[in-house]
Amino acid sequence: MRPLTLTRLLLRCGVLALILFAVVVVAMKLGAVQVSLYGLGKDLISVLLHRTSALSSDYGMIVLGIRLPRILLAIFVGASLSVAGVSFQALLRNPLADPYVLGVSSGAALGAIVALIVEGHLNLSPEMAGLITPVGAFLGAAVTIAAVYILGRRDGQIDSTTLLLGGIITASFLSAVIMFLMTTLSGNDLRGSAFWFMGDLSTPQPRSLLYFLAFGFIIAAGAIYTTASDLNLLLAGEKEAMHLGVDVPRVRIVVYIAASILTGLAVSVSGTIGYVGLLVPHVMRLIFGSDHRMLIPASALGGAIALVIADTLARTVTSPTDLPVGAMTALAGAPLFIYLLRRRIA
Amino acid sequence: MQFGRGPATVFGFIAESQATLPRRRGWAYFARGYASSTTPVSRRVFLLSEFLWRSCQGRFVQHRSINAMRRARVFGVAVLLLSAWPLRAQSLTPAPPPAMREVVDEFGRTVRVPELPMRIVSLAPSLTETLYALGVQDRLVGDTDFCDYPPDAQKKTKVGGAINPNLEEIAALHPDLVLATKEINRPDTVRALDNLGIPVYGTDAHTRTVDDILSTTQKLADLLGVPEAGKSLTAELHARLTALHSKLEALPPSRVLFIVWTHPLISVGKNTFIADALRKADAASVVDATQDWPQMNLEEVVRLQPDYLVFAASHAESASRDFESLASLPSWQLLDAVRNRRFAVISDAVNRPAPRIVSAIEDLARQLHPAAFQDSPAPEKPATPAPLPSNPLPAAPAHMTLNTQPTMVEFACAR
Repeated sequence: MRPLTLTRLLLRCGVLALILFAVVVVAMKLGAVQVSLYGLGKDLISVLLHRTSALSSDYGMIVLGIRLPRILLAIFVGASLSVAGVSFQALLRNPLADPYVLGVSSGAALGAIVALIVEGHLNLSPEMAGLITPVGAFLGAAVTIAAVYILGRRDGQIDSTTLLLGGIITASFLSAVIMFLMTTLSGNDLRGSAFWFMGDLSTPQPRSLLYFLAFGFIIAAGAIYTTASDLNLLLAGEKEAMHLGVDVPRVRIVVYIAASILTGLAVSVSGTIGYVGLLVPHVMRLIFGSDHRMLIPASALGGAIALVIADTLARTVTSPTDLPVGAMTALAGAPLFIYLLRRRIA
Repeated sequence: MQFGRGPATVFGFIAESQATLPRRRGWAYFARGYASSTTPVSRRVFLLSEFLWRSCQGRFVQHRSINAMRRARVFGVAVLLLSAWPLRAQSLTPAPPPAMREVVDEFGRTVRVPELPMRIVSLAPSLTETLYALGVQDRLVGDTDFCDYPPDAQKKTKVGGAINPNLEEIAALHPDLVLATKEINRPDTVRALDNLGIPVYGTDAHTRTVDDILSTTQKLADLLGVPEAGKSLTAELHARLTALHSKLEALPPSRVLFIVWTHPLISVGKNTFIADALRKADAASVVDATQDWPQMNLEEVVRLQPDYLVFAASHAESASRDFESLASLPSWQLLDAVRNRRFAVISDAVNRPAPRIVSAIEDLARQLHPAAFQDSPAPEKPATPAPLPSNPLPAAPAHMTLNTQPTMVEFACAR
């Protein structure tokens, strides 16, 4: 294997970014409503020239008002989940780890359901009502993160095995609470929760929320990236890494908190979209090797590509009805993964 | 064997060799250690430009002449200018704004709607039926996949399911009014349409009785500018309900179990309009739950011993099949109603808060109390419902509609 240089890193990321751009353009063209490439280009140019009043009404509203926010959300969620997946796989040194393994999704789901119930009894303005579910979900995720952190400590430090077991137990306990709530409460409060569990990008989020999410993503992913080379050493074993000069407890805390925040942010706006956080890191590892300095940015871009493609398929395959995007990620992702795995072995 | 800077393989994982391991590695180390190690920046810039130039020459530009490049550039600028041309023409002719008014919908939201909505999208089967009953079906431009009654509604443009309608499809129809219900549509959908500037009128926030359904119908008629059609429709439905009430007044109510779903057994709570519809047909639901869709324990049902099981289905045969499969189970044999094969099948109109529910109520009353209807032809067997009495709709009997059995989630919701 050739050594990783900055040029090579940037080149590979550039190629992935180009693919992402191409995928986004195709995703903006495809959808329930036919949009010609010409009309699309025209609208985009007029937006770039700040002539929004000149938009052709149809395309402008549908492409820029509905499709583009959804694509941006997919990019953000895919990137967050993949980076969180990479981090958890390295942190727990377990190839089966995914962003939800430590119970963040269950905590977020419980928070979202409580928010849905509360929303019905409060008289909120529409803007606030749109925010209450994501906020509730994120609060639920944050409480779970703290609880699992306390459970996962041993002798004042995070222990990988204890953390994993504590996370799984917490997840199953919270799932049981959710099931209890869902069977005892009246159905009207919980209309959207089924979609929430399958993963749903169709709900448009307020623009301020998107900015906030992008900001959180940059902070958390940046924090994880500062530990990239430490994660490489951590894969050789915790003792070995410590002997090689890695501050293992600090790395564990940084990676655990940052990856959990990424997961919490993603889950709070999209529900639990499966497989992206598990498959994309493995695919990227098969393509680019397991150097985390390459793997983390590659996973971010790859996750964004994968989720935009999956969401586009979910929107178009049974148009006009939307499929849950979580089903699409598994449908499209599993065969690709098997192909790459077999090719690697052969 | 790998020497110098760069990753080496350790037990299948990549780790850096010890030669490159200072204590902390951040971006500064990264840039210093890798970028400037072998190749100076000037050489890198030169190589990159050389690479880009050669790849341009090799792949994108066939003729190397400068004239061809110039032609391409001029062509590009011309395309840009031409594409901007129609935009200006369009922006100069704004459409005249239609007359608007403000109404308060049943969610309590204040909505600005057109004086006379002409392009309506319905997000629920019940709303679609109500629009047809009011005779404004020509102004309905889109409905959901589950809007199957009357059959003509299936031909309208579909905007997806009721819970997950496709926003693009709705926006592309340019509706001036979207109708949604609290019962089966999500608040997220309403919010998203609000953000797009499409007025949404919400109904059925507190539909607990059949009378609520009729008052909602009247409100919709007022909203759509056809108050007279609404008045005559609701007056006729009220008259039919009163007539039914006077027939059934003297009879004791039969105790029934309304079955929404068999596995698991789901019935209706006492606060739903379905329970009220059963009461109107002189039937009392044995279920005393405050939940809307309680999952029933079979022991409890056996203790309550309902006189009749009531199925609502679009196909009478499928309901009969449901009953036979239940009757074959030993635990259900404990029910007197199953042993004596006492069950009633009514159309799935009872699941929808729309005017057609009155027909379903009459149908159920005929099956439960045939004695009260001696003067009119009563059905021989309960398994085959009587043809529906004439109503203001262009009615086909409900069991002739063409939909398939909905899935569980949609069944509980497709009303």
